[in-house]
Amino acid sequence: MTPDPSGTDSGSLTKPEEAFASASAPRARRRLGFGFWLSVAWMAVVVVLAVLAPWLPIADPDETGFGGRLDAPGWAAWFGTDTNGRDMFARTIWGARVSLTVGFIAILNGLVIGGFLGLVAGYFRGPVDRIISFGFFALLSFPGLVLALLIIASLGSSLLVVSMTLGILSIAPVGRLARATTLSFAEREFVHASRVLGATHTRIMVRELLPNVLIPMSALALLGMALAIVAEGGLAFLGLSVSDGFSWGKMILLGSAPRTLRDGPWVALVPIGAMFLTVLALNYAGDRLRQYLDVRELAFGGG
Amino acid sequence: MGFLARRLAALLAVLLTVTALAFGSLNVLGDPLFNVVGFVASVDCDAVLAGEIQDVSGQTAGGRGDCEVIEAARREHRLDRSLPVRYGYWLGDIVRGDLGTSFKNEMPVRQVIGEKLPKTLLLMLVAEVFGLAIAVPWAVAAAYRANRAFDRVSTVGSFGLLAIPNFAMGIILFYFFVVRWQVFPSRFEDTDLLARLKSLVLPGLTLGLPLAATYQRVLRTDLITTLQEDFVQMARAKGMTDRWIMFRHVLRPSLFSLVTVFGLTTAGLIGGALVVEQIFSIPGLGRAVVEAVIRDDFPIVLGSVVVIATGFVVINFAVDVLYSFIDPRVRRDA
Repeated sequence: MTPDPSGTDSGSLTKPEEAFASASAPRARRRLGFGFWLSVAWMAVVVVLAVLAPWLPIADPDETGFGGRLDAPGWAAWFGTDTNGRDMFARTIWGARVSLTVGFIAILNGLVIGGFLGLVAGYFRGPVDRIISFGFFALLSFPGLVLALLIIASLGSSLLVVSMTLGILSIAPVGRLARATTLSFAEREFVHASRVLGATHTRIMVRELLPNVLIPMSALALLGMALAIVAEGGLAFLGLSVSDGFSWGKMILLGSAPRTLRDGPWVALVPIGAMFLTVLALNYAGDRLRQYLDVRELAFGGG
Repeated sequence: MGFLARRLAALLAVLLTVTALAFGSLNVLGDPLFNVVGFVASVDCDAVLAGEIQDVSGQTAGGRGDCEVIEAARREHRLDRSLPVRYGYWLGDIVRGDLGTSFKNEMPVRQVIGEKLPKTLLLMLVAEVFGLAIAVPWAVAAAYRANRAFDRVSTVGSFGLLAIPNFAMGIILFYFFVVRWQVFPSRFEDTDLLARLKSLVLPGLTLGLPLAATYQRVLRTDLITTLQEDFVQMARAKGMTDRWIMFRHVLRPSLFSLVTVFGLTTAGLIGGALVVEQIFSIPGLGRAVVEAVIRDDFPIVLGSVVVIATGFVVINFAVDVLYSFIDPRVRRDA
C-alpha cells in the first residue's frame, strides 16, 4: 500500500489518490508475498502428514482406550483424547486424509469437466455455447448444498460419491472462467496461425488454448478446494458425510454434542482449528495467486 | 417491457430445468418406492407375475402377494409410466399446490413444509439483519480512513471470518454462550415471537457474521470509489461535516453492489441455514429434510428441494429485476 504522501491530515475522509490505490483491485506489485508462501508451507505440512499418516509414529486413530475418556491436551496426547479415549492428534492427521482427498477429487472433477465444457463453449460459440452456458446457469440455480444433498441422498455417501458430487458444484464456476478465458484467446494471432497451418479443432484447443486457460484456473482450483472441504463438513451435519472413514467435518460433528462440548471442547475445537487454518491458507493463497495472475473476478460468487 | 419478458422466459426455463433435475435425479438415482413397500421392490416382479420365478421376498405366504402390493403402489405413484410423463403429472400437481404426501405419516408435504419453512425464513431474516447491521457501520468506519490501521485490521478480520465454516462458527458460539456462560437457551423455544427471536440470536449471528464480512468488503470498495466523486469534494468545500457527508451523500449511491451480492449470498445462506438448524436444534426445513433423508421419505426431500430451489431462483430473479430499475443500463445486455 502506498504510504500517505503528505503524511499529515489524518482526520479527514479518504483522499482520492489513496482511495484509487485500493479501489483498483489487483495492485501493481507483482509479488506473491510472505503470506502466500506461509500458506503454501502450511498446506505442504498438512499434505505430507496426511500422506505419510500410516508410517508416522502416531497412535492408531481408531484405538479406543489410548488414553482415558476426554483427557485434556497434554504430553501424552498432544491434542487430548475423545469420548472413546482415542488420540485426537492421530485422528486429526487421519481426518486430513479424507478431507483433503475429498477436496482434491472434487476440484479435479470440476476442473476436468468444467474446463472441458468451458473450452468447448468458448471455442465453438453459437448454439453449443448457448446450451452449455444455460447448463452452467441451471447448475448455479441450485443452492450448492441442496444439490449435493439431493445427489448424495439418493446415491449413498461413499468417499467417491461425496467427492464427485462436490465436484459437480465447481463445474459451473470453473466452466464460466474457462469459457471467458477461451473467448479472450480464441481470436488471437497464434490461434489463427495454428489454424492456417491446418491444425484440427482438437489440436488448437489442446495445444494452443488449454495452456492459457489452465493458468487462471489454478487460482480458482485452490479456492474451490477450500469450498469443497467446507462443504463436506456441512454435509457431515446433514448426516451425509463420507461413510467410510472419518473427515474433519465428521470429527467436528462428533465433538459438537453439548455434553462433549462441556467436558472436552478440544474434541470439536481441534479439527475446527485444523480446518480453519487449511481453508484460510487455501483462500489466501488462491486470492494472492488470482491477483498475481490478474484474473478477472468472474467466478465463485457466494457459495 | 422487452427486458422483463426476456427475464421472465429465462426464469421459467430455469425453473423447469431445476425441477426436472431434482425430480429426475431422485427418481433415477434413488428408489422412490422404497418406503412404501421396503426392499422387496428389488424383486423382479415382471418375472414373478409371468410365473417364471417364485416371489422370493417371503413376506407373505401367498407368494405373489408382495408383487401385487408393489404393482398397486407402482400404479398409484404412476411408476408404470415413463419418466417424462411422470414429470408432467408431478409438475401439474405442483402447480395445483399438491406436493405429494409423506410416505411415513401420510401428512401432506405442503403441510409439513408450511410448518417448518417459516422458522427457516425467520432464521435467514435474523441473519440478514445481523449481517447488514454489522456490515454498514463497519464498512463506513473502514472506508472513512481507508488503508489506515483500522481498515487494515478489519480487512484481515473479514478474511479470517470468511474462512470459518458456518458449522464451526455455530459450535464456537454454542460453546461459549450456551455451554460455558449459559446466556442463551440450548434448545429452540417456540412459545412466542420473543422467545423465538431469543433462540435465533446465536444461529443468526453464526450466519450473519460471515455475511457481514462479505457485505463489508463490497460496501467498503464502493464507498471508497464514491468518495472520489466531485460532489464529495463539493460538499466538503461547503463545510459539511464528515459524518453528514458519509451518511447523507456517500452511503446511498454506494449501496448498488450490495443488491447484487444479496442475490449471490442467498445460496450460501440457504445451505448455511440447513446446517445451523442442526447445531441449534431449530425445527425448521433443514431438520425436516435431514430426517426425511434418514428415513428415505422421498416426497418430503423432493418437495423441500423444489421449494428451496424455486425460492432461490425467484430471489435471484427479483434481484436482477430490482437492479435493472436501480441501474437501467443492465437492461441492454443479456
